[in-house]
Amino acid sequence: MPRFKHVKKVVILGSGPIVIGQACEFDYSGTQACKALMREGLEVVLINSNPATIMTDPEIATRVYIEPLKEEFIRPILQKERPDAIVPTLGGQTALNLALALEKSGTLKELGIEMLGAKSDVIRAAEDRERFCRILDSVGAKYPRSKMVRSFDEAMAIADELGLPLVLRPNYTLGGGGGGIAFSLEEYKNKIALALHESPSHEVLVEESILGWKEFELEVMRDRSGTFVVICSIENFDPCGVHTGDSITVAPQQTLSDDAYQSMRDEACKIVNAVGVETGGANIQFAIHPTSGERYVIEMNPRVSRSSALASKATGFPIAKIAALLAVGYTLDEIPNDITKVTPSCYEPALDYVVTKIPRFAFEKFPGSKDSLTTQMKSVGEVMAIGRTFKESIQKAALSLERGPRGLAPVAVSEDRLATPNSERLFHIVQALRDGRSVEDLNKLTQIAPWFLEQLQQIVEFEFVISADRELTAHTLLKAKRLGFSDAAIAEIREMNERDVRDVRWRHNIRPAYLQVDTCAGEFASQTPYFYSSYWSKPAPRTATSKEAIVILGSGANRIGQGIEFDYSCVRSVQRFRTEGYHVIMVNSNPETVSTDYDTSDELFFEPLTHEHLAEVLSHTRPRGFVAQLGGQTPIQLAPMLAEDGFKLLGSSLNTIDLAEDRGRFNEICRSFQIAIPKSGMATSVNDASKIVSSIGYPVLCRPSYVLGGRRMEVIENDAELESYFDRHRDFISEKTPCLVDEFLERALEVDVDLVRGPDWHVIGGIVEHIEAAGVHSGDSMGVVPPQRLKPETERKIEEIAVRLADRLEVLGFLNLQLAIKNDVIYMLEANPRSSRSVPFLVKATSIPIVDLGVRAILGHSSAQVRPERFQWRKIDRVSVKGVVFPFKKFFEADSILGPEMKSTGETMGRGRDYSEALLKAFVASQLVLPKEGEVFLSLREKDKEELLPLARELVSMGYTLSATGGTARFLRNHQVECEEIKKVHEGRPHCVDRIRSGQVALVINTTSGRHSVEASFGIRRSCIDYSIPCITESDTAISFLTALKRSRHGEFAVEPIPQLHKI
Amino acid sequence: MNGYLVLEDGYTIHGEFHGGDAQVGEVVFNTSHSGYEEMATDPSYHSQILVLTATQQGNYGIADKFWESKNIWIRGFICLEIQNSARDSGWLHRLRNANVPVLSGVDTRSLVLHLRGAGTQWGAVVRADSEAAAQDEARRLIRTAKQERTSKATADWTKAVSRKKVEDRRGHKTTGPRVAVLDFGSKENILRELELRCREIRIYPSDTKADEILNWQPDGILLTNGPGDPADVRDGIETVKQLIAYNAGCKKERDKKFIFGICMGHQVLGLALGGRTYRLKFGHRGSNHPIRDRLLNRVYVTSQNHGYNVDIESLPTGVDVTHVNLNDQTVAGIYHREWRCLSVQFHPESHPGPHESSLLFDYFTEQGCHGSRSN
Repeated sequence: MPRFKHVKKVVILGSGPIVIGQACEFDYSGTQACKALMREGLEVVLINSNPATIMTDPEIATRVYIEPLKEEFIRPILQKERPDAIVPTLGGQTALNLALALEKSGTLKELGIEMLGAKSDVIRAAEDRERFCRILDSVGAKYPRSKMVRSFDEAMAIADELGLPLVLRPNYTLGGGGGGIAFSLEEYKNKIALALHESPSHEVLVEESILGWKEFELEVMRDRSGTFVVICSIENFDPCGVHTGDSITVAPQQTLSDDAYQSMRDEACKIVNAVGVETGGANIQFAIHPTSGERYVIEMNPRVSRSSALASKATGFPIAKIAALLAVGYTLDEIPNDITKVTPSCYEPALDYVVTKIPRFAFEKFPGSKDSLTTQMKSVGEVMAIGRTFKESIQKAALSLERGPRGLAPVAVSEDRLATPNSERLFHIVQALRDGRSVEDLNKLTQIAPWFLEQLQQIVEFEFVISADRELTAHTLLKAKRLGFSDAAIAEIREMNERDVRDVRWRHNIRPAYLQVDTCAGEFASQTPYFYSSYWSKPAPRTATSKEAIVILGSGANRIGQGIEFDYSCVRSVQRFRTEGYHVIMVNSNPETVSTDYDTSDELFFEPLTHEHLAEVLSHTRPRGFVAQLGGQTPIQLAPMLAEDGFKLLGSSLNTIDLAEDRGRFNEICRSFQIAIPKSGMATSVNDASKIVSSIGYPVLCRPSYVLGGRRMEVIENDAELESYFDRHRDFISEKTPCLVDEFLERALEVDVDLVRGPDWHVIGGIVEHIEAAGVHSGDSMGVVPPQRLKPETERKIEEIAVRLADRLEVLGFLNLQLAIKNDVIYMLEANPRSSRSVPFLVKATSIPIVDLGVRAILGHSSAQVRPERFQWRKIDRVSVKGVVFPFKKFFEADSILGPEMKSTGETMGRGRDYSEALLKAFVASQLVLPKEGEVFLSLREKDKEELLPLARELVSMGYTLSATGGTARFLRNHQVECEEIKKVHEGRPHCVDRIRSGQVALVINTTSGRHSVEASFGIRRSCIDYSIPCITESDTAISFLTALKRSRHGEFAVEPIPQLHKI
Repeated sequence: MNGYLVLEDGYTIHGEFHGGDAQVGEVVFNTSHSGYEEMATDPSYHSQILVLTATQQGNYGIADKFWESKNIWIRGFICLEIQNSARDSGWLHRLRNANVPVLSGVDTRSLVLHLRGAGTQWGAVVRADSEAAAQDEARRLIRTAKQERTSKATADWTKAVSRKKVEDRRGHKTTGPRVAVLDFGSKENILRELELRCREIRIYPSDTKADEILNWQPDGILLTNGPGDPADVRDGIETVKQLIAYNAGCKKERDKKFIFGICMGHQVLGLALGGRTYRLKFGHRGSNHPIRDRLLNRVYVTSQNHGYNVDIESLPTGVDVTHVNLNDQTVAGIYHREWRCLSVQFHPESHPGPHESSLLFDYFTEQGCHGSRSN
């Protein structure tokens, strides 16, 4: 069945900013889909609000709109574009919901737009639990039974019917308050009484428990002729109870018999058909009882998902691309398998290796939030590793986490960390095995399948063999490497030096082989340039490439502070290096990204980003050199060791990196250039720090050296806080890693500058002016291009300083600077000798291909070749505002107050003809509701009151009513602003938090500082998160928000595609 | 214990030998992720050394219900790793008890790439201290085995695995047909699938004459899977020729006996129709082979296990190619409408593998057999 002839123009919806549960896997899927449909000759219109993606590069689609993913913005785009169809299955839940809204409002019908990939009925059938259950019933599939109870008697009756243990979920309580699991009748009686009480509607959902059951997931595809294939089976290491996104997972499934597996496969097929999925990808999760084999369906998604990205990388089958082609009418047998070229896509990949994914968490970023894993996803990224066995692959995956070169490193076992799921459990299990705990025992405690535990036990047992060997023999070494041990791990176990282990290994010629991911377990010859290392095969000689090779180091797992922005730089530079005639080799460990798509680069090595693994890839591939400027801090930290091995670092030298990263040396340069820097000192103890503070005065900014994302960085206002800081972070402060104590430039304006420097040229990519004042991490502050408050002469001075500094550091490639401006003095805060988080935003805002220019700089192209004067970032006629999104909702105990430690997961971009339009779009795109009317609650710190007085007046004149806590209310009334006074939390009830929870408040402005006041006002911010009420915590944000509010009242805005980037 | 797999062409690969006697067989690889027990007990693997590309074997233990016959037929089990823990080493033990040599720790990918390039060949699994010693012993073993292989008396491998006596089974469907099964080495699941759909089943040894089968007056006849070179299955081919001749001679459509062949049954039918078979370079063995089924008008994934194929060019007129392997466009199913015979190269009974093509059993027992009765 060939492609639909009537579909000539399609709209693809992206997934918006990166949030927990919806991350850069949708950049991967959207990019793949756009490319595939463009190749088909279709006109492709892409809409996404996230500028940090490859998919929003103007070349990816016919036209790219960076606009909020909200109906009011999408509708005018659809009216303008008049597409034949819309594909809602590639942009996660966001795109599905948006498509449903467009359908419900009649927009699609009115404009004659067809939904491809999934019709609204299908989306609803999978989403609506009751409908879904009816469908499951119709195909004879089972699912956890449940019932809503409203009384104690009802609860007892249902307990009889369902049997213990039971899960209690009180209705309408947030964060699962009052819920839990009851294992005994006694416990059930107690808990149900409490739960009924806790629920505002006195309703509790009592559900059959599947905790501890094995969990599986099938990634399937179906075409419109009804052909059904399973692309990948995934088995969770963690049993049911942990969100699959937070579970360690393995592909293919390992512990089911063919009989059990095929029966699950049959059921998946029936469900997909019954739900009505006509074409595309879907995933279905199952729970299987470990002994009885009874099977329940957990859920299904009728769309491309996070696990389909994982499945694509695990198998080499490009699910998103195929899904896009199926959506426009092709069938699986008509689409050739990309990898073998000769076989069709209607097959099921066969794997002759094992893939392990481990999620990466960020609990340390959210003090107060409990490191406990539940059915609510909390991880911010993931790593994947491929090995011939589970042992080889999980050890490689553990190394990919970048926790240190040992991988599954020793910890002090805590019973609690074993018994309940948490981000550290794997390490505690391994340690418990080291300590002699039995598999049986651990299985009882964790319910993890004994097979997995035995595998870990075999790893641990071999540690003893490694340490018992009198001399490290070739035999032991080879076996260790086959089990996935790193040289560093072997060294640590034997109390040797890592280099010495490597020397022994090299002497015995024990080197990794690079095996192909070929979708067919070697059955067919394939040319796919997608490799993983393993010590199970003998290294084969490498086939020579006609072009010179360049290796690009990726950025590893997404984490707060190092995310998709760095993948953008990597992918964009791969494309540039290829255009420049190089054979480009990508190394990365993150399965969610575009960079780990095997057709992004000439060759992909899916490997841990460790010194050992990179050194082996480099000595295998013999490139001209490697690039460490693109993947954020990870490659920057690896570069010195690789350079020491004799591999050539391309672009800026090690010395440049060190000059920028070493505080002392960098400050020296600034001083010599008469660039102001915040006064600072280095302290290894609180006494040292006090001395420093006595000369520079509070407030100060404290942080350990060499950090990304502002890890452990805090503004300290007094002695008590200083002491507390040193106490809390004592593990990270030492002689070797002293704490930096900087003067804190209160209320200063901050900017980011990105520039590229070639041998005799430079291009300023742009200056991003932060909306929030100094003190909020640059990744968490909103930003605007062009600057709105900076004086033109300051702007020029900043550019001058940037260029001089780049020259002095002898940058070849990228340089990112962070500066603060206070009383017209420009202070240098930090320099990063690499591409930065702000680069993709600037590329979209200015149309300057910064990454491409960086590549030309790294290659040493001259000014005459590059003609840098063509790129003038100020020559733009649009204003772009960067918005940010935060994951506070997922961390029940976390505070939403901003500070020097980064907490945001993603960004958005609002593009407008003027500042207010851009602001409006940025806020809307960042999921902030702009209330049209209602009550605004204010609780302001002393210093903000004066500043925000005009704002309060304006709000009243716009028709909002005001309420405030005592001090703020009195201040406002004294200035003739009408305002209702409300009690603070400690002043008795009903207080401000009760007010917020009552749903009466439409907007909260709460500025605060100082540890004590921050703690006291926590309830205000937390209730806003729980009830999804916009809560502004910085005065500058409040002023911007007002600007956006005013703009939204006019209700007038335009949508337009972004322009092409400037030709390079 | 050191062990080796040595191929006829001298390719030698090292592994850990887990016991059993040194053995010789045709070395073949299967890409299924699961189903080791089903494969090892499938009579089609008679005299073959099985290489599994999935790296960890034995993970989920053993169960009698997975057995596809009463014996383990393979002559060797080669994998990268085999489950062997205090809790469960069931599969390893079953193989050992059946005296099947098990070689683990083998870099199966390199081996498969070699087989893919050099083609299916004989090999021996031996225990030896050195590669040279292994090669010496293997050469000797292979030579002897090949001499045996070429002797007329044992050339037809189906005779080694087929039932020696007629066996009757009662089906679960009282309104279903009576089906005769010509056993070339039937997998148990073919019989289970028939039991679900038939009233009565009679299973005949592979050298049964056509008259005997016809005398039982079945509604349909199923030709099973089986091992070896189809061209050597002379008795079977002769019987099927007679059955076809019977159908061709029937005046009334309803007197014809619908014939349905699977794998070896398909090849035998192809030969009986006057076609030729040829040896595939390294066969098709796995659970992921796509088939275009023009009969049911579908595309689905099938379980496959065969080293020979029916040559499309050799088929006489009147034979439609109804099934095509989409990986290499080889013939995967034929249908002679007039003579009422249909056969497929793949395994609708799966075990291991996906179940979609079990629809062909419906076709056989409904349109096929019932068609014969009612027409």
